[in-house]
Order: sequence, then structure tokens, then C-alpha cells
Amino acid sequence: MSSTEMLLKRLPNDIGGLPADRIVQTDHPLLPWEKRCHALADVLDFHKIINAEEKRRGVAALGSELMGKLTYYERWAAAFANILFEKGILHPEELALKMTEVERRRQMELAL
Amino acid sequence: MNPHDHPHDHPHDHAPIESPADAAPSYYEVMETSIRELLVEKQLISPAEIRHQLEVLDSRTPALGAKIVARAWVDPEFRSRLLADGRLACEEFGITFYDDTKLIVLENTAKVHNLIVCTLCSCYPRPVLGLPPDWYKAKPYRARAVKEPRAVLKEFGTEIPEDVEIRVSDSTSMMRYLVLPRRPEGTENFTEEQLAALVTRDAMIGVITVNPVN
Repeated sequence: MSSTEMLLKRLPNDIGGLPADRIVQTDHPLLPWEKRCHALADVLDFHKIINAEEKRRGVAALGSELMGKLTYYERWAAAFANILFEKGILHPEELALKMTEVERRRQMELAL
Repeated sequence: MNPHDHPHDHPHDHAPIESPADAAPSYYEVMETSIRELLVEKQLISPAEIRHQLEVLDSRTPALGAKIVARAWVDPEFRSRLLADGRLACEEFGITFYDDTKLIVLENTAKVHNLIVCTLCSCYPRPVLGLPPDWYKAKPYRARAVKEPRAVLKEFGTEIPEDVEIRVSDSTSMMRYLVLPRRPEGTENFTEEQLAALVTRDAMIGVITVNPVN
């Protein structure tokens, strides 16, 4: 099978049965923002704004390079933004403005 | 060289080291806060719902699953109900589910050992176990559990006799699994509470067995 044929048949997250490293029994308690991100995902699902399947596809759509570099909940946040843009619920510009505002607010809180 | 520095054409599913909580917020943390606040401003979601969901997340721990398992060990009728419809039986304990997810309980026997995995992402019986450990969401477990379960089990220190069949169940967003481990010998006089204390998260995923009592 050619390498492109393999890529076509397997999406980046479709890894069942592939060779992989030894299992390292890693775990970490969720950071507060990660837990909030999880709560946000659940609430978005309840309201049918983004369901679990849309979220999974949104993460896959980030592509394998980003998927490899982002942490689990970073992928979720990035996927939410893209999906909400796609659905016309958020506009990229309003998110950018909000992020600047949030960042300033957080820096002021840290300076206190 | 940091293994993450080279470009790859394959998904690495293990998380890089997380940043400490007291540092300045990361780009993605700011993004999460911003998305949430914008959706609240648009009245699509409410802060109360997020708060409530945070409490729900905190309330879900493997202790819930352990209670279910202990009850199934002492009460044959409950065990039958649990195996017939995992969700309905768990709801008897006041455990709440979300959307219309099914819970299928897989019973370990002298002939069959069950193992659960989600090869595509990280589907997990969250209502009864809480959130999955990082290794469950990482590539090695997801990739290998369906192909070489005995080798995977060995890495958890678990040796299942050759004449016992190993069944691996691959979860989906609509179909979650929970392993009902075998009750260890020497626990005939245990109370339900003492039994529940023996049941661990990993035993309910199926990567270990519940240890016999010495």
C-alpha cells in the first residue's frame, strides 16, 4: 500500500492497531482552566451548540502537527473556536478583541 | 533533542508538560475564557451552568464505580439488572448521565477478561469513573490495546492465563463500557463497604484485576 493511500484510509486520530511505544502510566490533576474547558464542553453539548462528535471532528481538523503539539484541552479550545466561527456563532475578530481584553485583565490581576 | 521539536506526520497523543497554575495564563487558557465569556454575553450559555457542571465533574470519581461493583458482588439481582442495562442500574444509585449515552457493563469471569479502550479519542464511562487518566487518552494505550492486549496488560503488571479469553471493547461517544471485575477470593465475610474499598479505577478499565486479600 502506498503511503498516501494509508493516509487517506486513516485519519490522524484513527490509531487503533498501529505500532506504538510502551505505555507510560501518566496522569495529572486537571488545571483549573482545563476543568473549566471540560465544563464548557459539556454545557456546549447540552445546548447542542457543539456536540461530542463535532468536537472530535474539530480536533481532527486541526491537523496532525497541531494535534501533536497541543495538550489535550488546548486542542479542545482551538477546536471550539474554529467550530464556532464555522457556525457563525462567533466572529474571529470579536474573539481576538475579547482575548486581548482577557489578557489585559489577567495581567492586571497578576500585578496586584 | 526534545522529541516534539521535529515535524511529524503522525499524531502524538501524549500531552506536553503542563504549565504551573500560578504562571501567566497560556494563549489557550485565555482563548477558553474568552469563548466562554462571549457565549455568556450572547446568552447562549450561563455562568451558573458552568459552575454547576464544574460541581458535577468534581462529584464523579471512581468511588461511584466501586460502589456499583461492590453492590453487584453482593446482590445477584442488582448484578442482573446491571448487566442488562448499565445505565438504568446506575441511575438507581442516583448517578446522572448526560445525553443518551449507553453504559454497557462487561463482566469478567473465569473464562473472559475484559479491557476497555477508545481508539479514536477518549470516550470513557465518565458518569461512574470521572475523567480518564492521561495514559488512557495517549497514543500507546489507544493504538496497542486492540492489537496486543496481553502485552499491554503485562505493562500494567497483569498476567492473564493463556486459557482465558481477552475481550477488548472499543468505546464510542454513544457507547461506553465499564468492567465488572471478579470478586477476589477471601472476601466472603467482607461488608459491601469493605468490598468497594478494594475496587480501583484501573480494575474497572480492565488493565488490572482486583487483588486477592491476603
